[in-house]
Amino acid sequence: MTLLRASVRHLRRHPGQAGLSLLGIALGVAVVVSVDLSSASARRAFALSAEAVTGRATHQVVGGPRGLDERVLVQLSREAGIHPLAPVVEGWVSVQGAPGRTLRLLGVDPFSEAPFRPYLGRGAAGIPTIGTLVTEPGTVLVSSETAAELGVGMSATLVLRVAGRARPVRVIGLIEPGGARSRQALAGLVVADLATAQELLDRPGRLSHVDLAIPSGSHGEQLLARVRAALPPGAEVVPAAARSEFVGALTRAFDVNLTALSLLALVVGLFLAYNTMTLSVVQRRATIGMLRALGVTRAEIVAVVLAEAFLLGVVATALGLGLGVALAGGLLRLVTRTINDLYFVVVVRELALSPAVLAKGAALGIGATLLAALVPAAEAATAPVGDAIRRIVLEARARRAAPRAAAAGLAVLATGGLVVAGAGRSLALSYAGLFALILGAALLTPLAMVGAATAAGAALGRLFGLPGRLAARGVLSTVSRTGVAVAALMVAVAATVGVGVMIRSFRATVVRWLETSLVADVYVAAPTIRGGRGGESTLDPDVVARLRAAPGVAAVGTYRGARVTSPSGSTQLVALGIGPASYRQFRFLAGSPETVWPAFQEGGAAIVSEPYAYRHRLTVGAPLRLRTDRGERAFPIVGVFADYGSDQGVVMVSRRTYEAYWDDPGVSSLGLVLAPGSDADLVVQQLRARAGESQDLLIRSNRALREASLEIFDRTFAITAVLRVLATAVAVIGVLSALMALQLERARELGVLRAQGLMPREVWRLVLTQTSLLGGIAGGLAVPVGIGLALVLIHVINRRAFGWSIETTVPADVLVQAVGLAILAALAAGVYPAWRMARTPPAPALREE
Amino acid sequence: MRAPAEIPLVELRGVTKAYREGDAARVVLRGVDAAIGRGELCVVIGRSGSGKSTLLNLIGGIDVPTAGEVLVDGLALARASESTRTLFRRRHVGFVFQFFNLIPTLTVDENLRLPLELNGRSGDAARARAGALLAEVGLADRGAAFPEHLSGGEQQRVAVARALVHEPLLVLADEPTGNLDLDTGRQVLELLDQLTRRAGRTMVMATHSQEVIGLADRIFRLHEGRLVEMRELPAG
Repeated sequence: MTLLRASVRHLRRHPGQAGLSLLGIALGVAVVVSVDLSSASARRAFALSAEAVTGRATHQVVGGPRGLDERVLVQLSREAGIHPLAPVVEGWVSVQGAPGRTLRLLGVDPFSEAPFRPYLGRGAAGIPTIGTLVTEPGTVLVSSETAAELGVGMSATLVLRVAGRARPVRVIGLIEPGGARSRQALAGLVVADLATAQELLDRPGRLSHVDLAIPSGSHGEQLLARVRAALPPGAEVVPAAARSEFVGALTRAFDVNLTALSLLALVVGLFLAYNTMTLSVVQRRATIGMLRALGVTRAEIVAVVLAEAFLLGVVATALGLGLGVALAGGLLRLVTRTINDLYFVVVVRELALSPAVLAKGAALGIGATLLAALVPAAEAATAPVGDAIRRIVLEARARRAAPRAAAAGLAVLATGGLVVAGAGRSLALSYAGLFALILGAALLTPLAMVGAATAAGAALGRLFGLPGRLAARGVLSTVSRTGVAVAALMVAVAATVGVGVMIRSFRATVVRWLETSLVADVYVAAPTIRGGRGGESTLDPDVVARLRAAPGVAAVGTYRGARVTSPSGSTQLVALGIGPASYRQFRFLAGSPETVWPAFQEGGAAIVSEPYAYRHRLTVGAPLRLRTDRGERAFPIVGVFADYGSDQGVVMVSRRTYEAYWDDPGVSSLGLVLAPGSDADLVVQQLRARAGESQDLLIRSNRALREASLEIFDRTFAITAVLRVLATAVAVIGVLSALMALQLERARELGVLRAQGLMPREVWRLVLTQTSLLGGIAGGLAVPVGIGLALVLIHVINRRAFGWSIETTVPADVLVQAVGLAILAALAAGVYPAWRMARTPPAPALREE
Repeated sequence: MRAPAEIPLVELRGVTKAYREGDAARVVLRGVDAAIGRGELCVVIGRSGSGKSTLLNLIGGIDVPTAGEVLVDGLALARASESTRTLFRRRHVGFVFQFFNLIPTLTVDENLRLPLELNGRSGDAARARAGALLAEVGLADRGAAFPEHLSGGEQQRVAVARALVHEPLLVLADEPTGNLDLDTGRQVLELLDQLTRRAGRTMVMATHSQEVIGLADRIFRLHEGRLVEMRELPAG
């Protein structure tokens, strides 16, 4: 107990050092927890809203891009005798006057609902609700909470916007959620009668799916067989959970990447904890030696150091959890936006404070701190008994250990390289290899420091005289203390370089891709809830006809986005109606344009994007099986093209092929090639006038669309940038604490120099030269390590996570910023000690020991 | 003169200690044979680097000889495991160092209670024992102070009290006055002599101080690692 008290008092006597370490570890924990919380909240919101829609259905009958013909109900109920079943039409709508607000429109048959979604019957007291939906067209129910948020009451008119068209509806009932869980599930739900929803979504006679409640066991199997037999060719029956599972799989790579980035912050935090404990042990070596002389055993010393780390870990983790929850609110917006941009629509109302996530954060924080303290604890146990050994011996030993650490570093690097190379498609193994590479580079740091400081000594001596030489020797004489701090700074800055180079390379690749793939002069699409590509909303056929005939338009390409199912899950299909003038928008990675286009246009062949080919292990010549309205069909793959529009990948068939296999005449967007000499901006204005008021349209020039695409790209990486900044902040704090403690410890040495006549400004120069030398070493090492990380991120991690190839670009400004950051951080760490030393008269400094 | 008891407390048989310095070995002690009886006060003298501190470290089990035997109260320290030696120190040895070496983050009172606690003695009895000893060294009112607030002489008096608080068999003092002025050094020596003798403890002290020689029962003189003189002094 007395031993632990001595330990705690040591921390209390160094409040700056302890406080900065606490903050560093806390930030690391906060980043991990906030990333986890925000993606868990997004997933939970999606699951709850899917649950609200799915209700108690066990299976769903689903169809092709346009859903199911509603006559399927007759086949199922009358011919196959399946009961209960409930038809559903669903879609996403936005609300006029509430920008950014998205609601899920659920069209149901009120009389079939009771077995599936009983909450729909729970209206506010005395108000006829669900039945009224049928008798009064254009009426809806919303949850009481959503109504309050939107400021609408009973009988109020709500203007919904669907694919750019305004659709007024009347609220005739409020659904009262039964509890917190259903409140969240019902948030953002608009319920309408089947016919109303079909009209609102412009899907007359079509259903999104039919819900079934099939018991498990052999009876259920028999029922399913009957269902399958009764289904038309384009339809199939799937378990109700399959949809949520598919959505989970969609964002898995995104989640893994976020988690890895957040773990990076924790790794830097871990270095920090290691650094704090090492410093604390080194500072107390004499005291520990003393305790050993008094008969304290090695095990007791280890226990005390670990107990101290545990305390530090507990306090820092508590702080980090609080900070993480606060941070998660902000990250949640970024995560939700990225998911909406890239994957699917999700409306997240609140942060789900999952106890599991918090417990994991706590275990990680305390565990990492304890893990980081293991080496210093072992080091403390070997402290020589009594006061036989002096600092100088210790430092000499640290310098001698540097080559051994470097050798170990090389071994770890080699292992990391082998793991990365041999990880196959495993993302987790690839990251494990990446972390090994980081650790290996960190182990090389002390030796590089010794080399760099030795080399810099002479130059600094010439530049600054004695203080310059002293600064370089100061680095050499403190390797045992500064080695870890410099390694931590190096890792953080290298991570900044790595992620920075990766993002810039990716962006440059996307810019080049947009330049080649956007060949039309003007693009026209109906607004979609989901950002980015994928447009599944439909242009009004009249509008299409009017735009085709517009003056100045030389050629028109059409695009139709649709989701179809294949044996390996849901597939994004695009029907391409383009002429030879637009062929150059595709850069083929496999297959040559001469053979691709004839087969594509005339032979019913498909082309697939690089991520799709990678994900499904497909190549040219392989058959791609897709479920069509004529049943499952095989389409030969004739080309693989470069594409960065979706990490899930996309399959393209010609418009002619599409129309032959799917009963869908819709067009999602148009690419207009203008007659030579036309002014794109002027034509856009004319087209807007010509399109009329019936449907909101996004009519954008090539340049505007390119800018909008890059905006989405930058938005997607906003969260990465935030995490990068946080990891760097953790490192800067670490370096501040380590270097500050180190300089303050040198009070006596500086006191001696001051006593011998060193001027205060020379003290400033000495301290700042030394810290900036350390910063420069960290920054200099971070550049090659960072580029190495970027190469792994680009060619291994991104490839395995998303399946696309990125061309590497190393921008000089990222490197210069990184080195500058390291030096600035180190300089900042020197300011307070330099100020304190310079203004302290030598006598008190000499008395300090 | 105080005659050595039949079975000596400390026996050194052919003790040699060498340190490696790069490729070369530096021999610090060469074949030292000696015995120290119970209740004796032995003083080890010699120039700097003659091996005095090393001898004390070997007797205290802090270090082990390269060759030879060190027996303390029948325990062969050279062959004992590290943890056995640590527990032996904890129970049977009290140290006084030149640089006081109090634990800076513990109060004076806590510094005194630490050896008791390590030996499983805590609570009121330990508190009373520490308080009594603190009073004996004249620092009854400084129990709550941290070492940094004490003068050098006061710190060394606390160190003396700490060395004796758990009633060890053996007190080892390495230049206990080396860092003190003449008067303060004399006071500390008197205190050490008085407390050790009164408690019937054995003490081995390494020193340069001529005054200490006057207090000793026996003098060992080391020269370049060899025991060149072993002299018994008349009592008084």
